[in-house]
Amino acid sequence: MKRLSEVEEGKYKIVEILKPGKTKKMFNLGILIGDEIEVKKSCPGPVIIKKGNTSVAIGYGIAKDIIVEKVE
Amino acid sequence: MEEKIIGIAGNPNTGKTTIFNALTGSKQKIGNWPGVTVEKKEGEYIYKDIKFHVVDLPGTYTLLEESEDQKIAIDFLTRNKVDVLVIVADALNLERSLYLLVLLSELHKNIIVDLNMVDLLEKEGIDYDIGHLEKLLKVKFVKTIGNRNIGIDDLKEEIYRNCKEKRDEYLEFNYGAEIEKLIAEIINNLNFSSAYPLRFVALKILEKDEKFIKSISNLIDYEKINQIIFEIEKKCGKSIDRILIEKRYAIIHGIVKECIILKKRGLKFELTEKIDKILTDNLTGPLIFLSIMFLIFCIVFSIGNPIQNLLELTIENFRKFLSYFHLPIWLDSLIKNGIISGVGSVISFLPNIFLYFLFFSILEDTGYIARAAIVSDRLMHKLGLHGKSSIPLILSFGCNVPAILGTRTLEDKKDKILTCLSIPFMSCSARLPIYILFTGIFFIKYQSLIIFSLYLLGLIIGILSMKLFGHIFFKYESSPLIIELPPFRMPYWRNVFIDSWMRTKYFLKKAGTIIFSGSLILWFLSYFPNPSKYGTEFNWIGKIGNLISIPLKTSGFGFWQAGVALIFGIYAKELVVSTFGTLFGTGNLQDVLKGYFTPVSAYSFMIMSLLYMPCIATFWILKKEIGFKWALISFFWSLLIGWISSTLFYQIFIFLKGG
Ligand SMILES: Nc1nc2c(ncn2[C@@H]2O[C@H](COP(=O)(O)OP(=O)(O)O)[C@@H](O)[C@H]2O)c(=O)[nH]1
Ligand SMILES: [Mg+2]
Repeated sequence: MKRLSEVEEGKYKIVEILKPGKTKKMFNLGILIGDEIEVKKSCPGPVIIKKGNTSVAIGYGIAKDIIVEKVE
Repeated sequence: MEEKIIGIAGNPNTGKTTIFNALTGSKQKIGNWPGVTVEKKEGEYIYKDIKFHVVDLPGTYTLLEESEDQKIAIDFLTRNKVDVLVIVADALNLERSLYLLVLLSELHKNIIVDLNMVDLLEKEGIDYDIGHLEKLLKVKFVKTIGNRNIGIDDLKEEIYRNCKEKRDEYLEFNYGAEIEKLIAEIINNLNFSSAYPLRFVALKILEKDEKFIKSISNLIDYEKINQIIFEIEKKCGKSIDRILIEKRYAIIHGIVKECIILKKRGLKFELTEKIDKILTDNLTGPLIFLSIMFLIFCIVFSIGNPIQNLLELTIENFRKFLSYFHLPIWLDSLIKNGIISGVGSVISFLPNIFLYFLFFSILEDTGYIARAAIVSDRLMHKLGLHGKSSIPLILSFGCNVPAILGTRTLEDKKDKILTCLSIPFMSCSARLPIYILFTGIFFIKYQSLIIFSLYLLGLIIGILSMKLFGHIFFKYESSPLIIELPPFRMPYWRNVFIDSWMRTKYFLKKAGTIIFSGSLILWFLSYFPNPSKYGTEFNWIGKIGNLISIPLKTSGFGFWQAGVALIFGIYAKELVVSTFGTLFGTGNLQDVLKGYFTPVSAYSFMIMSLLYMPCIATFWILKKEIGFKWALISFFWSLLIGWISSTLFYQIFIFLKGG
C-alpha cells in the first residue's frame, strides 16, 4: 500500500482516505473509497487519475492522504 | 399566457449551457444572483401556450456545499419554486448525474433527465435502455445532442407535458432494513412541519450536512438523534454518512448496469489522452500554456487594432460632421469634448474586449482551462497560490471584475482573498488602450514585446503582493488542488459567440454608464469657471492636476494633465486615454504627447497606469466579495506600489543614461 502521491502510472484501488474533509472532496467528484482508478500522470505536479470516463487532477496536498493498492 | 419556471441543473461540463442556449436562443440575459455576484443566466422561450423562464444553474455534483457557486445552485434547487428541473446528464458519466437525480427526487422535485451527448455513446460502443431507466428511476428521460440541436424539440415537448401533468410519485430508494428503521426513528423525532419532505430532512441529518442541521437546530432534539446515530455507527464501525453515500452509489451502479446495452467495443478516447499527455507534461505543458497566452495577445492586436482604427476614424468624422450644425458654444463643446471623446474611446476598444472574451470562451469550451490549472498548480503552489487561482488570474487579463467573481470556485477563504488581492495588478483590457497609445508613439517597432513586458510585470507584482500578504496576515499555506478534467472538445461556436457577446454587452452596459458620467464630470471641471480656456490650468481641472502632479515628478511625468488622466483612470482605466484626448484639445494627440513624454517616461507612465489603483468597478466588486477592509488595503497598497515602481524605473534609467 502506498500514497497516491508516490505511485507510478498504472491501475490502483483506493484503500483509504486519511482526512474526512478530503474524503468529502473526492466524493463530491464521484470518487469513493474502494473504487478502482487508473493513474494517468504521477507526481511531481498534480496526479491525474481516471475512474470510468471521469478524469480528475489531484494536487499533492490531497494525493498524499490517499492510500492506494496496486491492482494487477 | 401561462408562465413556468425551468431550472437547468447538473454536474459541471455536461452541456447545461449548451442546452440552455438551444432552448432560449438569443433570448437571454446575464446578470447576478441576488445578494451575491455569481453570474446568473436567464432566458425564455414560448412553446405552445406556455411561456417558459429558464435559469442556467452553476454545476454541482451533490447538495453539499463546497464553494459559493455550488451554494447558489443548491440554494436554488432546495428553496426555489421551480416548475420543472431539467437535469442535464453526461451520457458517459451517467452514474454521477443519477446521484444528483436521487438527491433531488428525495426533495420531491419535478424532474426530467436530459441524457445529453448521446453522440458519444456511439463512439464508446454502448447504449441505454431508456424505458427501463424511466421505470426504475420514475422520471422521464430525453436524449439530446446539445451542440447539434438534436432532441431539443423532444425536450421542449417533455417539459411542456410535465407542466401539464400533476405528479405525485417520486423515486424513493430503499436503503436496507437497518437504515430504513433509523430513518423512520428520526422522522418520529421530527415533530415539526417543514417545507422539505421529512424523509429528506432525516437523510440530511444522517448525512451530517452541518449547514443544513444548523438551519433547523432549534426545531429538533439533536441530542437524542445524535445518540441514535452514535449507536448505529458503533455497530457498523463506519460513519453513517459514508454508509449512505456508498449505498446510493451501489444502487445507482446496479441500475445503470441493468440498463446498459453493450455493443461492440468502440474507440476509446485515445486522442484526448494523447493530447493530455503533452498538455499536462511537466516540461511541454508550461511551454504550451505560455505560447497560447502569447498567441492570444498577438492575435488580438493584429485583428483588434485595424478595427479599432476604423472606428476611431468614424468617430473623428462624426465630430467634424457636427461642426456643420452651429450649436451654441457650450453645447458644441460638451458634445465634442465631453461626450464624443469619452464614449468614443470606449467604443473604439470594444473589439479588443470582445476578442478577449471570445478567446477565453474558446479556452473554456475546449476544456483547456482545467489543463492550465494543472500546469500552473506546481508553480502556483510554490508561490503560495492554489492551482485554481490561475484561472481567475488568466481571466483578469480580460477584465478584473469577472476575474474576481471567478475566485468563487476557490473553496478556501484565504485562497480567495489572496487571489483577489493580486488580480487588480493583472493588466486588464481596459489598460490596453493606454499601452496601445503610448507604444504606438514611442515603441512602434517593439509594440507587442513592450506590451507583453507590462503584462508580465503586473503578473509578477501581483504574485509577490500575494506572497507578502500571505505571510503577513495568514501564515499562509494554500489549499490543495482538486479539479475535474473535461474531455477535449472542439469549441462549439454558438456557445462561444453567445457567451462572449453576452459578456461584452454586459461590460458595455456597465462601463457605458460609468464612462458616460465620467466624461460629463470631466467636461464640467474642464469647462468651468473659465469657458474660453477649456481644459487648461485656468480651470478647476488644472488645479487638481497640478496638486497631483507634485508626487509624480519623481516618476517622470510631473505635469497636470498626467495627474488629471490618472484621476479619471480611477473611474475606469480606459478614461486615461480619452482624458488625454480631451485635455490636449483638438490637435493630433500623438504629436502632442511626443512633446510631453520621452520613451522612458512613457514606459514609466504605463507602469503607473498598470499598477496604481483598481478601477471603481473592481474596487466595488472587491468590497462585495472580500469586504471593505480588504478592498481598502488593495487600494492603498496598489497606490504605493504604483508610485514606487514607476519612480524606481524612471530614476534608474535616468541615472544609467546620465552616467
Ligand atoms: N459531443 C458533444 N458535445 C457536447 C454536447 N453538448 C455539449 N457539448 C460540449 O460540451 C462542452 C461543455 O458544454 P457546456 O454547455 O459549457 O457545459 P456546462 O458546464 O454544463 O454548462 C462544450 O464544449 C459543448 O460544446 C453533445 O451533445 N455532444
Ligand atoms: Mg455552463
